[in-house]
Amino acid sequence: MSARYDAIIIGAGHNGLVAAAMLARKGRKVLVLEARDHLGGMLGDADFRVAPLPYALRPEIIRSLGLPAQLMGTSKPVETISFNPDGPSVTVLGARTIGLAPEVAQTYATLRARLGRQAKALGVMMLEPPPGLGKASLGEMTGLARMALKMRLLGKTEMRDLLRIILSNVWDLLNDEIGDGPLAGALAMDATLGGAMGPRSPGTVLTLLYRMASHSAHGHGLRVMPEGGPDALVKALSDCVTAAGGEIRTGTPVEKILVDQDKTAGVRLQSGEEIAAPLVLSNVSPKTTLMTLLGVEHLDGEFVRRCRNMASKGMVSRLDFDIAQAPTLGSGSTLQNGQRLMIAPGMHAIETAFNAAKYGDLPERPVLEASYDAAANRLCVSAQFTPHDLTGGWTDDVKARLSASVLAVLEDALPGLSSAVTASRVMSPVDIETGYGAAGGHWHHGELRVDQLLMLRPFDGAAQYRMPVAGLYLCGAGAHPGGDISGAPGFNAARAALRDGRN
Amino acid sequence: MTATAEPVAQVVSGLKSGPFHDRLVAHNRQQAWMNWMGYASPSVLDSVEFEYFAIRNQSTLFDISPMCKYAITGPDAEAVLNRLVTRDIRKLKPGRVAYCIWLDEDGQVVDDGTVFRLSETEFRLCCQEPQLSWLEDIAWGFDVSISDVTRDIAGLALQGPTSCALLKDLGLAGIETLKTFGIAEFAIGGADVTISRTGFTGDLGYELWIAPADALTIWDALMGAGKLRGLRVIGYEALDMARIEAGFLLPKVDFLSAQTVLRPDRANTPYELGLEWLVTLDKPHFNGRRALLDLSGQTPPRKLVAIEIERDKPAHNALVYHKKSREVGMVTSALWSPTCKRNIAYAWLDAPYGQSVTTDLWVEIYLQKEIRWQRRMARCHPASRPFFSHPRRTATPPADY
Repeated sequence: MSARYDAIIIGAGHNGLVAAAMLARKGRKVLVLEARDHLGGMLGDADFRVAPLPYALRPEIIRSLGLPAQLMGTSKPVETISFNPDGPSVTVLGARTIGLAPEVAQTYATLRARLGRQAKALGVMMLEPPPGLGKASLGEMTGLARMALKMRLLGKTEMRDLLRIILSNVWDLLNDEIGDGPLAGALAMDATLGGAMGPRSPGTVLTLLYRMASHSAHGHGLRVMPEGGPDALVKALSDCVTAAGGEIRTGTPVEKILVDQDKTAGVRLQSGEEIAAPLVLSNVSPKTTLMTLLGVEHLDGEFVRRCRNMASKGMVSRLDFDIAQAPTLGSGSTLQNGQRLMIAPGMHAIETAFNAAKYGDLPERPVLEASYDAAANRLCVSAQFTPHDLTGGWTDDVKARLSASVLAVLEDALPGLSSAVTASRVMSPVDIETGYGAAGGHWHHGELRVDQLLMLRPFDGAAQYRMPVAGLYLCGAGAHPGGDISGAPGFNAARAALRDGRN
Repeated sequence: MTATAEPVAQVVSGLKSGPFHDRLVAHNRQQAWMNWMGYASPSVLDSVEFEYFAIRNQSTLFDISPMCKYAITGPDAEAVLNRLVTRDIRKLKPGRVAYCIWLDEDGQVVDDGTVFRLSETEFRLCCQEPQLSWLEDIAWGFDVSISDVTRDIAGLALQGPTSCALLKDLGLAGIETLKTFGIAEFAIGGADVTISRTGFTGDLGYELWIAPADALTIWDALMGAGKLRGLRVIGYEALDMARIEAGFLLPKVDFLSAQTVLRPDRANTPYELGLEWLVTLDKPHFNGRRALLDLSGQTPPRKLVAIEIERDKPAHNALVYHKKSREVGMVTSALWSPTCKRNIAYAWLDAPYGQSVTTDLWVEIYLQKEIRWQRRMARCHPASRPFFSHPRRTATPPADY
């Protein structure tokens, strides 16, 4: 063993950095080990970001870590433009909309306000450890009780409404309230993005509420791009770690989590170097952490089976198009830096795209989320419903075919784009898997669905961050509350480790 | 008029004929067949008393082909077995057998069985309940191959005081040097047979493992040699008497597999079953170890206790009371033991009865005399297992008797 630390964090993704900063600021000697050459994981690669829109870091975490407030506070909330093939595009910012008939806009605003209140009630649990199944501690029950109280405070009608819709599908909800169209398309995209669910899949209301539970200085459900972009966020987090005395090493892939007497003893790097620490927090996906880095021999068979069966097949491909000038919308205006363009003209289009993916094929017309990075002259596109387990595999030909179909879809919304493209790159879910230790290539390390949330995240028996081998914690997106760029799993995992350390 | 007593070939509805079926049919005067893993298996062939006393005084043949058998082979086979069972399999040498239990992650017993170590990398697991999917779960991620060889291997239990002499009569050189829980290769009538000194009777005995094609050849050779050794074919009922005396528990009778219970509190830990001697906590991780660590310091909420009952009426399905009034448990297996001359049983007793409180316990026995039921309260006392154990079981070489 070459060195000894109080805690090792595997993976310098944003959750890992949050966890490392938390521990370092509590006086722990912390080492962060990152396999790749950059920090920030999926949002840190300046050349090709898996997560180009990192706008949901919890304000509580920013405050707790003493991060610069302007990181999240001063930027404008992100606008979403939903492309409409049959008329003017619809622009959405929270409850405000442009391009809708006044009565539809009013109906939507009412719906948005109601969902926002319900999401806020659910959001109470985001920074709480999930309660245990069977034997919950008083602290855990307090978190649950607070959520129950918040739900009760919604009033009888809204609580009843929440319980009615929470497990249902976003298709029915939106059809009932606002009808299909570009607005419903944009909301349904938010409900399904990253996951293997279409608008008609049960549980998609829950994922929509989950997304709306995000919090920024501009209010609940509103998201902001940090000033300075993703790099500024990553730098602020890594500076926080090093300022508190933590060390960060890049290009040091971990090969094995070492175990001694059923307790975590440290890690062995691929280089063969062994580093001792009684505490290891893994920001890598649960499957990779447990099956590959730890090894099934340290785990019970049922636990391994539940881990293997965890739904974590990624559905999103990332495409970057280098373009000579800002893309122009059909209306003549240009897509602004930081704006989000949805090309999902309705829920029907999303469900149709999902149909192909269900059976292992690429949709003819993928539904897209795009954003323009003015600094890099790049259009960053997330193509939804491109399955990890694609029939025939992810060959270069398939990627070229996907690139062409994405460009064809983009061309409708951004006429003339094709001719402006100077270079393009495709990252399939398989590339995300191999590049970022996310088994299945899933953005959120595991589906956000009702049987994989709260006390069931990442799977039954593995919630609450601590793993069966003492001293090992999950601190990545696979853990509660999972997904997105919230930092909450890293925050909660570090607090759990600190609390256990006191005992 | 002439009377004929030719045995009629039996077709047992829905049940498979095992490798020894033709011979079993010829011996089965009672035609009392039972279903054992889909095979037609005799519960009694002639009379239980004759069969039972043959186990204790002569030798007996029992078809154990229906028992589930799994081949576990490969570089990680030892690691897989060691993760499966609670004993330290690393200490089991090639050519040896170990009685084992295995648990789920809550420390509840899934099943018991015998692990045969055939070589460094080859194991065979024999057990009562089908285990393939469980084994596949346990072995996932290891370099090992698992196959169900239940139908590929015929098995015969040759048990009783004269069993070694019988095998010697067949010319099996060196069989007398085979130690308890040892395995050796032999040939009988030109057919290969693997013999282990194992059994379910608590007495001297062997289990013979045969290719199904050779089954009848070996059966005939054994029956031929057994004429002067008092060899008798037996069914399940006689064996059940012997196993109660010998202290062996039976799944589905004395306890339920954790995988078959509908109510979670019906599964049992090794501590409840009195099988803590099979648990090695200081070995590498095995399934259920962490749960057992938590449980190891606690008093089991109930325990399966061997009891001896006063008077002579067997206490089948009896309830157990403290001070004749408070119901504290129930009997699972019971027997008037003809060999021990004791009235014995296993009973589930709620804590602290049978653990710290061992006096003033009573079983309530119902007995019928000419369609009149009577209720008898008989005093019982916790006893140690096994009730029957004979030095010849482990003597090497065994005497001829």
